[in-house]
Amino acid sequence: MYGFEAISMHNGWAMAIAGGLIVFSGLVVLSTVISQLHKVLDFFEDQINRYKVKSTLISNEDPSARPESKPDRENRFLDDLDRVVDRYKTASESMGETFALTELYRLAKEMDAPHPHLTISYLKQHDFLVPLGDGIFSWRQ
Amino acid sequence: MEMLVQFLSNTGYYLADYRHILMLVVGSIFLYLGTAKRYEPLLLIPIGFGVIVGNVPFFKGFGLGVYEQGSVLNYLYFGVRTGLYPSIVFLGLGAMTDFTSLLAKPKLMLLGAAAQMGIYFTLLSALALGFLPKEAASIAIIGGADGPTSIFLTAKLAPHLIGPVAIAAYSYMALIPVIQPPIMRLLTTKEERRIRMPEPTREVTRKERLIFPIAGVVLCCFLAPASIPLLGTFFFGNFLKECGVTNRLAQTARTAIIDTATIFLGFEVGASTQGDVFLTAKSIGIFFLGAVAFSIATGSGVIFAKIMNVFSKEKINPLLGAAGVSAVPGSAREVHLMGLKADPSNYLLMHAMACNSSGVIGSAICAGILWSFMI
Repeated sequence: MYGFEAISMHNGWAMAIAGGLIVFSGLVVLSTVISQLHKVLDFFEDQINRYKVKSTLISNEDPSARPESKPDRENRFLDDLDRVVDRYKTASESMGETFALTELYRLAKEMDAPHPHLTISYLKQHDFLVPLGDGIFSWRQ
Repeated sequence: MEMLVQFLSNTGYYLADYRHILMLVVGSIFLYLGTAKRYEPLLLIPIGFGVIVGNVPFFKGFGLGVYEQGSVLNYLYFGVRTGLYPSIVFLGLGAMTDFTSLLAKPKLMLLGAAAQMGIYFTLLSALALGFLPKEAASIAIIGGADGPTSIFLTAKLAPHLIGPVAIAAYSYMALIPVIQPPIMRLLTTKEERRIRMPEPTREVTRKERLIFPIAGVVLCCFLAPASIPLLGTFFFGNFLKECGVTNRLAQTARTAIIDTATIFLGFEVGASTQGDVFLTAKSIGIFFLGAVAFSIATGSGVIFAKIMNVFSKEKINPLLGAAGVSAVPGSAREVHLMGLKADPSNYLLMHAMACNSSGVIGSAICAGILWSFMI
């Protein structure tokens, strides 16, 4: 069989038209995708840059928004100063108005206060604990 | 004395007939074209020598020929028969292809699509001439001007035609400087050939080059899964090149691996053209249709570029349409030279390479489509 009859018999017209359309549409889609690719990448890069800039601004303006690092966590106890002083004062009431720092340290250990040595040093340096001589201290009034 | 007569009757000189002599001449012409004229020497020399080796007459049953089970040539032919060598060649091609110019001007990809129309026209012509559908599809893919793709599809659909189809495809690829210029001249005016292509207005980023092979696999292989053996390795090779951390692998893929595959592919295809198998009326028909396919592919690319110019503000040099066939880099070089003849300061090579690389993708998709139509 030859000629148009053979083409029709073997479904040639449909194969040629469908094949041509498929390859054309495939490459059109691919070319469209790659023509827009740089725009999509620019958009994402822009978003990432905006996020970075925003994070930097937030961290500069509001330290609490900054992710908490290990030193931050350790210092958090000292930051909440009023609460710490109240807790230590309450614990030391049983010792009277004056007390030795070693006793205060022992009490802090007993109540599982974090970083007692560091805390007491801080209280001493910032005059919350007033020295009376011979290692005896009292709370600042 | 009897032993000597028996020996002489088993020699190639005694067993040779006119078909062997004719094929030896064909092989020698290939070697001449490759060596003296430098027409695609990397292809024509392995094929030409393969033709000569494959057409040494021998006593059947010795286990020597490419079609005889257990022979060395038959083992090497495995890579052709199964489509292994074309896949490996595509891996190397991917590792050496730079898509930057295509990414900078994506609309040039349409010219690669338009040039594939030669394939479908030839499919119809081959059916009209009485070829069976699988044979017609194998012949039609010659229009893609891509040797490995032609071999791959023919191995899957009509293995008995591998020799003629491969020889036709590679011959026409080698004859690009002869075939394409007259068609380009015929379909364009001098003014059109002088059109300058503007330089890309933006720089293609590394991220784009990295994403392209992935997008290519997702879009093309999902569309025509039968093209996975070709496009999967092609885009993988390109990713190796672009990712920047596998330079050793990319370097090996684009040198040692593709060279090895090309040597065996060319030599085995040549050796498969034994006179008694090759010289048939069908082969003549295949050569004729191959020329038609190649010419129409070139012409449809050029005409489509002219049609694009009607609708587009930014004019495209229609010569670029001829580079939409996937004969890399032969057709791009020819387009560039033709552009230079019209205007010695008009450099089209980079743009032509963009069309060329999209032609590679297009013809591989076509192979996948034709294969899936015939399943």
